[in-house]
Amino acid sequence: MTKKDPSRAPLIAVAVFVIVAALGSVVWLLVGMLRGADARRVEVVQGGNVLYTYDLATASPQTVRIEAPDGGWNEFTIADGEIRMTAADCPDQTCVHMGPLRAENLPIVCLPHQLVIRFEDADT
Amino acid sequence: MRMTTRRLTELALLTAAALIIFVIELRMPDIAIPGVKLGLANIITVYAVFRYRPGETAMLVAARILLGALFSPNPSTLLYSASGAALCLVGMLTVRKAIPARYIWLCSMMGAILHNIGQMTAAVLLMRTTAVLSLLPVLLLSGCIAGLFTGLCAQMLVTRLYKKPPHDL
Repeated sequence: MTKKDPSRAPLIAVAVFVIVAALGSVVWLLVGMLRGADARRVEVVQGGNVLYTYDLATASPQTVRIEAPDGGWNEFTIADGEIRMTAADCPDQTCVHMGPLRAENLPIVCLPHQLVIRFEDADT
Repeated sequence: MRMTTRRLTELALLTAAALIIFVIELRMPDIAIPGVKLGLANIITVYAVFRYRPGETAMLVAARILLGALFSPNPSTLLYSASGAALCLVGMLTVRKAIPARYIWLCSMMGAILHNIGQMTAAVLLMRTTAVLSLLPVLLLSGCIAGLFTGLCAQMLVTRLYKKPPHDL
């Protein structure tokens, strides 16, 4: 640096912000991992409404199709104690590629159809 | 201040470069988590934040996002990326004067975090559910890593392309 900054306060503030965000998310992830170990109840949420809830341990294998308000659709499948998105009519297929629901901190999200599949006790 | 033809051409060139990077990144295999992305086009954004005036940078980013949506397989993600980019840009433009050139990577990390927060806010509002919020820590962590990488790239551009230090605007 050719000249000294008059104040380092903003730089320090930025550094603190970054560190807090990074450490905060690490802690959040670790807590989620510890808590979510035996979560089996899942819910399917669309636009703020809980459409379905399942206990993965007892739910019978099934495939359910959900129509989105905009005319699109998603299809999720429960099998072998796992739930996953198996089909969707959107072009990017992100939700399908996410595979089975594994962790509390990694809900299956379909942004275009406002659909979320997650473990039930995520924020209780 | 009036914009000269030279300046306008530079900005147009930067917008084109950002768009090309964006399109190339679309072709790369993505990590299957919505919102997680390397965001290589942000190298240009961070570079512009430190080399151009705020209004010019905002125009560049707006043009890149709108044009980028045309190439995107899923144009409905425009709202998420626009909210993320807006918050990211406001944050970086606010602190840019106080950031020495060798800490540009830090500014970029902050921008990435703000981008994720903006994206998530849009998602919560649009989907009318907080269920997506549990994705936030994953997004923030990936954002920190991506922001560090793109920030270092931008920092090299800023410090190597010009002999004179930034902030001479």
